[in-house]
Amino acid sequence: MMIESSGQKVLKVLLYVFLIIMAAIMLLPFLWMLSASLKQDRDVFTFPIQWIPAEPEWGNYSRIWTQIPLLTYILNTVKLTIIVTLLQLFTSSFAAYAFAKLRFKGRNALFLGYIATIAVPWQAYMVPQFMMLRGMGLNNTHLAIIILQAFSAFGVFMMKQFYEGIPTELCEAARIDGMTEYGIYAKIMLPLAKPSLSTLTIFTFVNTWNDFLGPYIYLTRDNLKTIQLGLRSFIGQYSSEYGLIMAGSVVTMIPVIAVFLALQKYFVEGVASSGLKG
Amino acid sequence: MLKKKESEAPAFTANGLPIDRSIKIVKSKAAKREEVKRNLVAYSFIAPNFIGFAIFTLVPIVFAFALAFLNWNGNTEMTWAGLDNFKYIFTNEMFLASLKNTFVYTIGTVPLTLVVALFLAIVLNQKIRGRNFFRTVSFFPYVGSLVAITAVWNMLFNPSMGPINEILIRLGVEDPPRWIADNDWAMFTIVLFSVWKYMGYYMVIYLAGLQGINTELYEAASIDGVNTWQKFWYVTLPQLRNTTFFILIMLTIQCFKVYDIVYMLAGAGSGALSQATTVLVYEIYNSAFRYWRLGVASAEALVLFAIVLVVTIVQFKLDKE
Amino acid sequence: MKKALALLLIALISLSAVFAGGSSESAADGKTTLTWAVWDYATTSYYDALIDAYEASHPDVNVEVIDLGSADYQTALQIQLSGGGSEFDVVAIKDIPGYNNLYKAGLLADLAPLAERDGLDLSLYGGIIEQISIGDSFYELPFKSDFWVLFYNKDLFDAAGVPYPTNDMTFEEYDALARQMTSGSGASKVYGAHYHTWRSAIQLFGILDGKHQITDGGDYSYLKPYYEMALAQQADGIVQDYATLKTSNIHYSGVFYNESVAMMNMGSWYIATLITANQTGQSDAQNWGIVKYPHAEGIEPGTTLGTIGALAIPSSSKQQEAAWDFVKFVCGEEGGKALAGTGNFPAYQIPEVKDIVASLEGFPQDQNSKDALSVTQLYLEMPLHDKSAEIEVVLNEFHDQIMTGNMSVDDGLAEMGKRVDAVLAN
Repeated sequence: MMIESSGQKVLKVLLYVFLIIMAAIMLLPFLWMLSASLKQDRDVFTFPIQWIPAEPEWGNYSRIWTQIPLLTYILNTVKLTIIVTLLQLFTSSFAAYAFAKLRFKGRNALFLGYIATIAVPWQAYMVPQFMMLRGMGLNNTHLAIIILQAFSAFGVFMMKQFYEGIPTELCEAARIDGMTEYGIYAKIMLPLAKPSLSTLTIFTFVNTWNDFLGPYIYLTRDNLKTIQLGLRSFIGQYSSEYGLIMAGSVVTMIPVIAVFLALQKYFVEGVASSGLKG
Repeated sequence: MLKKKESEAPAFTANGLPIDRSIKIVKSKAAKREEVKRNLVAYSFIAPNFIGFAIFTLVPIVFAFALAFLNWNGNTEMTWAGLDNFKYIFTNEMFLASLKNTFVYTIGTVPLTLVVALFLAIVLNQKIRGRNFFRTVSFFPYVGSLVAITAVWNMLFNPSMGPINEILIRLGVEDPPRWIADNDWAMFTIVLFSVWKYMGYYMVIYLAGLQGINTELYEAASIDGVNTWQKFWYVTLPQLRNTTFFILIMLTIQCFKVYDIVYMLAGAGSGALSQATTVLVYEIYNSAFRYWRLGVASAEALVLFAIVLVVTIVQFKLDKE
Repeated sequence: MKKALALLLIALISLSAVFAGGSSESAADGKTTLTWAVWDYATTSYYDALIDAYEASHPDVNVEVIDLGSADYQTALQIQLSGGGSEFDVVAIKDIPGYNNLYKAGLLADLAPLAERDGLDLSLYGGIIEQISIGDSFYELPFKSDFWVLFYNKDLFDAAGVPYPTNDMTFEEYDALARQMTSGSGASKVYGAHYHTWRSAIQLFGILDGKHQITDGGDYSYLKPYYEMALAQQADGIVQDYATLKTSNIHYSGVFYNESVAMMNMGSWYIATLITANQTGQSDAQNWGIVKYPHAEGIEPGTTLGTIGALAIPSSSKQQEAAWDFVKFVCGEEGGKALAGTGNFPAYQIPEVKDIVASLEGFPQDQNSKDALSVTQLYLEMPLHDKSAEIEVVLNEFHDQIMTGNMSVDDGLAEMGKRVDAVLAN
């Protein structure tokens, strides 16, 4: 239906130029990171910036595994991330259904309350929360981190907004067919919410993966620690091993990118629009 | 049974909030029982998330709010403070400066991030070559570890030797800004960083939102001979309303709570933020964990909470209209 | 069906998490286990040296180390101790503000009665005990005491044909030397001196005359000459620009390793670091020396800044006596010797320490470097004060403002005084 006029061609070229510049701006810091990961600590912050290290220090990539128990940290992080993401997906998508498509007493107040708590900075209630969880015997357990991360208001809010984009008529029709609310949630809403579920998966995954403060407070034993704690341990009081930090950052970024790439196709798929015709 | 369901449908506006019902339906006993059952079903949906949330987040938060009226160092006995903590923070220069800076940061970051994220999402939703590559790349800054990426940024924006200023000088800028090291430019630099870091994140949400738009709407618009701009204005934007609303609220809250990026960018070196760059959560952090005045920290958090609550309610009200 | 399966999976994993996470308490072999909270365990050589020494003479005790990281060590420590539920028996204390906070919250046991009971000779801590006492009590015992000296790169001085710095230099002589040693440009630039971004590196030149306390507030104009010296050096390219250092995380050890600075004032902890770096090839500055801190006219050489590392016993520990025995050991003569063996300086004054450190392989052989290890007068970087945490934040803030050029020296110091006064008044 589109006739490629010369004006449109120019526009397309401009678009690509823009995209390439943007990609460069996004990538530049990571190229630097990659290059720094191959340098000695003392050479990381020298000017002018040396983009390709003269003598690449490949040893950084082996030292990160021996200087700290990185493998243990990665396994711990993987475990936490998977559990938290699954729980978050389930509880958020479940609760959001009620907020989006059901009418019940106290709905608006409850929802506003949910969102309002997002506004309270964690630093303000960290101490009481820590004492409470420690009192339950959860200090130095992975369960503490799971509990802190899995029930976020963020996920509920996000899923609710997406559900609302799905026509209520679909639920109506299903109800008339005698489907229960649980059935509607599982058979109609969830399949349609794939793009947002994958979005939530990515965000929860990244958040848990990169979380520092939570594990820092709750996990003080080596066998429980996570990746971010390991990376920070390279920054010492009197010396910082930036080469290792960068190498560690590169390695630990790979899984997140992989998850992003794996889930990306769901953003493309979209909703089977014909089925939505009210 | 079926009738009840039908009557339920129009009870909601597009965004799911109930519309004002002027007609009161007199409820029969059966209808009441129905209602109880309906409530229970709804609560059962919410319960798994809410119970965990209430015990582990809500309870400590309520406790923290009570602390705003007490003096406490985390260990010894609490004493009653009344409004002293509030009097203290509102006469504290640094706290007032942090309020101002946080507002400036939020006002600078929110619209910019929103627009850039939407633009990116729309561009990357087109059928263009290398789409997956561009999408992945713009998500990079959000994923990268903060320690690493702030280090790079500070390198690139280094006032005397960074490549950015070198380019500016070559372009003929005689006195390039000293970025984070200059009180007048520091906040701007931080806003720039935030937009860079978070635009990919919000782009992903917009992308998911764009998938929810019924393609038939575009087809119908095409038949009507509508141009691209009009399609965007009359189809895409209204259809993205829920998404935009969500992003707007999350972004605002996130901006008001900004802390670690400011600390890592501007606090490098001395570990202290000046009056030009201090933000609310930094003051809360200091009160809580450097001075161990948990009551003061709670009072500061309560102020932050009140501001965000008001802003959020206003946004909700605007969204309803 | 799939969903039910997924749910089951979640339940199972969560359950396993509970059990996997349970911490293992003291072993049943009749040994006492002491839990010790420290920072930077992996990169610090002396922790293991101290533990090995203690365990060798106390076979029935097992010391377990918990690393809380260095950046927010005091925060993490106090959170763990708050409410009295911690598992720690001994805790390392990193700085004075942190010590003060823990004391104020009533989290530390008073060590004074124990020291008196066991007849500890507190005078051997060289006046530090007086500086950390609150009334008749003190709640930490120092095991490590670092002091600031001037490091220099002998090769760079040789190449420039300039005589080495000496153990008796005034600030004027030091400044002149720094200017003389600056040369080159671009990648081959050599800076005459170097100040790390810490406030101590410049600000505390001003308290060495013993007439001022940095926590006093009011008039800070006595710091002015030193800020002016540093800013002039910065403007003339004698030292690296503060803003550059700050924004690019440039670490002092890197620039010294790379031989791009001729002189650098730094704490004595750097001796051990430098020796190791030279042995592993991380550093090019193989030929180095130290001299005493430069001093103002009329002040005795050897007057310098100090910072201490100390141990404390949380009042919640259930093994107070065992913990005290460990603290006594580490902070006493035996611990001191173990510490010196790693190139670090114990707070407990044993006459041999100088010899032990000076005889370490890699320590410079000249007499001046050895003599530089004698301290005449030591002032703490941050004296104990009820409001030390608040004051510290203000001092850091205005150090930053002055050094980045956002405020003139006069304005910055005036504002600093005003803000410290506000803290004190509160």
